[in-house]
Amino acid sequence: MAASLTGLLKPWTPRVLLVRWSRYNPYYLEPEPRKEVYHIPETELTPEQKEERELKSVRPIKAATNSVTSSVFNDPVLSKFVNMMMKDGDKIIAKGIITQTLENMKRKQVEKYHKAPEGKKAEIECNPYAIFHQALENCKPVIGLASIQKGGKFYQVPIPLTDNRRRFLAMKWMITECRDNKHRRTLMYEKLSQELLAAFSKEGNVVKRKHELHKMAESNRAYAHYRWW
Amino acid sequence: QQQEAIGMETRPETFSIFRTQENDPACQSEQHLGQYYTVPPSHFHTVFPHGLPPRYQQQVKTFNEGCVMVRQPALELISHLKRADYSKPTLRYLLYGVKGSGKTMSLCHTVHYCSTQGWLVLHIPDAHLWVKNCKELLPSSYHASRFDQPIQASNWLRNFRTTNEHFLSKIKLRQRYVWTKRESTEEGRPLGELVDMGVSRVKSSSDVVGAVLKELRLQAGGTEGGFRLAVAVDGVNGLWGRTTLKKEDKSPVAPEELTLVHNLRKMINNDWEGFDSMDPFVPVPVSLYSEKEFESCYLYYLDRHWLQHPHSQTEEGKKELIFLSNRNPSVLERLCAFL
Repeated sequence: MAASLTGLLKPWTPRVLLVRWSRYNPYYLEPEPRKEVYHIPETELTPEQKEERELKSVRPIKAATNSVTSSVFNDPVLSKFVNMMMKDGDKIIAKGIITQTLENMKRKQVEKYHKAPEGKKAEIECNPYAIFHQALENCKPVIGLASIQKGGKFYQVPIPLTDNRRRFLAMKWMITECRDNKHRRTLMYEKLSQELLAAFSKEGNVVKRKHELHKMAESNRAYAHYRWW
Repeated sequence: QQQEAIGMETRPETFSIFRTQENDPACQSEQHLGQYYTVPPSHFHTVFPHGLPPRYQQQVKTFNEGCVMVRQPALELISHLKRADYSKPTLRYLLYGVKGSGKTMSLCHTVHYCSTQGWLVLHIPDAHLWVKNCKELLPSSYHASRFDQPIQASNWLRNFRTTNEHFLSKIKLRQRYVWTKRESTEEGRPLGELVDMGVSRVKSSSDVVGAVLKELRLQAGGTEGGFRLAVAVDGVNGLWGRTTLKKEDKSPVAPEELTLVHNLRKMINNDWEGFDSMDPFVPVPVSLYSEKEFESCYLYYLDRHWLQHPHSQTEEGKKELIFLSNRNPSVLERLCAFL
């Protein structure tokens, strides 16, 4: 009994330091990975920022996860795509596939660029990041379907989708399309680069799937009233 | 290898810091350090059917041109070759450096120089290809305890034929070679016939390689039809290490037991005609990119529209590239590939 009482009198430090899980004590603050924030000189800080800095010198800060970088080449959408591609926690392989995909896309486009006549050069997009973002935009559905039960039956009701859900659907369709519907012997980066380039020019199976979803939603317009939110 | 130009070239049309118009390796000097010169497309397939690193070959295909940077180690090698005394025993040079520092590219630059000067070039693209991952190992017909590698030997002979077309008819054999009971190559036949026979008769191709090496060794220094012979071996430490090959009873094969390796070692031993003693070699260190070379490489990639990420074209991005790659040429190349 004496042992437990003396234990309670100590100042509070956690026995097990949480570094990998997301359930931190709310006392902890988020880390700031961007370099620009630390380069602002003392004089130019607003009162809020000054207050924040005071707070950071006192409070503990959560450990930054491995995916957070201060690099200028960091892309949150791409990181999300890598995480969705990852199997069994093997991020190295997933990141490797994505870098190979970007390289492959860039090679194809740069080759086309160098062989194209002068007039056509400006139309060819060589930036793999721009192609990736545009292709993903072209694959995002505008409206989705939800299964709502009314009077014993389930109806497919058209509903608006949030931005995160749209992005998730576009990435999911892209990955499943490349994993399932392509030739067995082609490597993933080759399949992905072909599909992304097709989606960039609004062709290919993924945009077809998006169009089919839109048509279904359009045909089920009558049930739109079943949505109550 | 790029030579950095301290004095800018004053040609009005094609003015650039990182490119030079001097496409002949013989005329390049310290002035051109850090600049890229273009290998003329007509030369490309004859001089380099093999020997270039695979990523560089991809780069050539993408950019539609083959540009090599003029760098210090290659220039040093070329100047040695220009000033060496060829009546003395042959000199051997060794390019050494960390992984990815540009040894193979320096070697290829020197090989380009040698072929523009009209030398006969014996370029073995990678000695490691001969001591590992060989699917077929035949016991040698010529020597009981040795092993032949028909695929590698015939591939190499085919590439050798492409590089040295014009020498094949000029060099005559000085010895009669018997391959089987019915086939033999007589004295005085041109070397081309020997090479063709090696390419078509895959089984005896390793012995053909041995014969070719022996003939070239005998005739290289000769005064009548005298030609200069350059032997370039990439990954030369593979000839003296261990092999990953196994005999049928699963015991490991030593490199001496491979015909190709045995003959190549004799070649490097340089007991060529007229040259008796063994020489120590001249070491040539290959370092990572200097600041100016890095600048050149960066500008070249920008020019070829290879660096597409908007941030990579800023100062910050450039500093990050320097930090991530530590100015290592191959690491930089791999980084810029997806940026």
